[in-house]
Amino acid sequence: MGSSTRPARVPPPPAENYEAWLQRHQEELRDSRKKSFETPAGIPVETLYTPEHLQHEGWDYQRDVGYPGQAPYTRGFTPGGYRSQLWKMEMYAGFGSAEEANQRYRYLMSQGSTGGISIALDLPTQVGYDSDHPMARDEVGQIGVALTSLDDVERVFDGIPLEKVGHIFSTANAIGPIVCAWLIALYEKRGTPTGDCIVQLQNDPIKEYVARGTQFLPIEAAVKLSCDMIEFCRTAAPEWLPISVSGSHMKQAGATCVQEAAFTICNAIAYVETCLERGMKIDDFGHVLELHFCTEMDFFDEVAKYRATRKVWTKLVRERFGGTTERSQHFRLHAATSGRPLTAQQPLNNIARITLQALAQILGGCEQTRTASFDEALGIPTQEAARTSIRTNQIIGYESGIPDTVDPLGGSYFVEHLTLTYEREIEAIIRQVDAMGGALAAVHDGFYQRALAQGAYREACAIESGEQVVVGVNRFQSDEAQPVPTFKLDPGAAERQVAKLRAVRERRDAAEVQRTLARLREDCKAGVNVMPAVLAAVKAYATIGEIADVWRDAFGTYVPEAVRF
Amino acid sequence: MQLVPDNKQRPLRVVLTKVGLDGHDRGVKVIAQALRDAGMEVIYAGLRRTPEDIARIVLEEDADVLGLSILSGAVVPLTRRVLEALHAQQVNDVVLVVGGIVPEPAREELKSLGVQGVFTPGTSLTQIVAYIRASVPAERSYQEAK
Repeated sequence: MGSSTRPARVPPPPAENYEAWLQRHQEELRDSRKKSFETPAGIPVETLYTPEHLQHEGWDYQRDVGYPGQAPYTRGFTPGGYRSQLWKMEMYAGFGSAEEANQRYRYLMSQGSTGGISIALDLPTQVGYDSDHPMARDEVGQIGVALTSLDDVERVFDGIPLEKVGHIFSTANAIGPIVCAWLIALYEKRGTPTGDCIVQLQNDPIKEYVARGTQFLPIEAAVKLSCDMIEFCRTAAPEWLPISVSGSHMKQAGATCVQEAAFTICNAIAYVETCLERGMKIDDFGHVLELHFCTEMDFFDEVAKYRATRKVWTKLVRERFGGTTERSQHFRLHAATSGRPLTAQQPLNNIARITLQALAQILGGCEQTRTASFDEALGIPTQEAARTSIRTNQIIGYESGIPDTVDPLGGSYFVEHLTLTYEREIEAIIRQVDAMGGALAAVHDGFYQRALAQGAYREACAIESGEQVVVGVNRFQSDEAQPVPTFKLDPGAAERQVAKLRAVRERRDAAEVQRTLARLREDCKAGVNVMPAVLAAVKAYATIGEIADVWRDAFGTYVPEAVRF
Repeated sequence: MQLVPDNKQRPLRVVLTKVGLDGHDRGVKVIAQALRDAGMEVIYAGLRRTPEDIARIVLEEDADVLGLSILSGAVVPLTRRVLEALHAQQVNDVVLVVGGIVPEPAREELKSLGVQGVFTPGTSLTQIVAYIRASVPAERSYQEAK
């Protein structure tokens, strides 16, 4: 009886091709929400994608996608994806002096942050000034923790067993080699083998000259120091990841996904080539390279970026650098949701934004993801906002079922079309930068800088005109206040930091400091790897300012240029 | 001699810069392009300029407007130091505006120091352009010539 009440089965539509389908529905399709649909990189988005599109583009499953754990790794580097292990869930934190940061790290670890300790450094530390330097005034501990000597590093990790941390990350760039030496010294003092924990340092100064701005040496010297660290770690701490080439900051400064991936790969090429010139072999260090991106709001744009990047990098390592091992083609893909699209207006909306961004990077197959906190447009995250952030990652991981099959978006006509398109666009930009003479030449030329500034302005104008909607800012504004508590830095933290620094200067063996700094000066002049000398200096409790000053004297300083618009 | 106010004859000249150690300059570059497209002459003096540097650039460029971009949380003390440096150079007539992450209480404090405009995230480009146009006195060039 039940079956008799069912409506008659609708016969399937006659087979037709995409063009015919478009033709048949042109009246309805003309009535679109927007004049044109495109990704933020300006790549057109059609109404619909079908197998015909992929066929037309010459797409081949085995060649362009393949199986997870197989070249070209579009579907990921491991056969099991997140089935065996979820992505590392990371929380970035740091403020005040070492003691304040130590408390926050302990709290995040107690809340299930599996990404270990991810250290945000204050600005004086990032540009190589001691906490009592005149340029550091008012900025000590403001946007990250102040670290000036090994003593601070010891206090940051006080009571935290290094072997249980799993990972230590920091956005140390121009000062990467100093932070590396601090951590090696800390491991030695604690008697912990370096292999018991993975240290990842960003150590990528190139992008600082075009975005983020914590460069303080000429770019050639900065790249040299960065590669000193990569070379040194091969024997001193072979399990560590001594460079995390980062597009994240270029993206936040205005790069599209395609530019972010392409510029990052071009910068990575510059580091790899410098290392190869020193006689290193890609098969020996390819696996310790990491690419770090950030995820913003256009969902499929981001998914395609991650998938295409794996593919492009694999080809590059094989064809350009002669990598022969699987390991050398496996960079780690480290992604962070971006604080930039978060809004100060209606800050709770940011929880939804962070969820979407995290989802895109997970569906793109990232091995390590960092989630921002909903109050980041207002200041340093409060403890509650930070907890909500880690919970967002955990809810996706443990409640959604998304990690249960590998690369669930693989085979989507649209995603595969975009992945293929992005691969071609990324490679086109790499050829363009190569033709300019590589990443450093592109920075000197201002090529990246112009692209980023134009991208940021284009977006600002689109938001201004309402063409790009930002909920709560240019649409759906509300007069109702949505007050959220904001973080307040203990005003005494900076003073305590300076007092401790002065006590360290009193306590240490001044002659030993001078001796180690003199050796560093000689090594800089001789053009040899500076890492052994930096390590000796940090062990003698030389400060970051003292070491960076030796570099400044030896290599010169970066001078900002005025730009006429 | 009677000088004709000439700010209609030369475009408004704006110096934008970042003071302090913060290196994020997406916002200030967006503003630079918006002011340029509004017909102003814009000099972005770059990162990590000291207050003394800034005062010198404002003098050299004969700027009508100085815009500081600060996101580092030290907006009040840094602005105060720039104002001291400007006064030390006898620059008392430049229109000073500040943009960036500026918490509510700091906005009032900046205004009391003599900052004319404070722009926080979400302020429209049109508002900023209009504000800057309106805040430069029409007779400014004439006063300078005296």
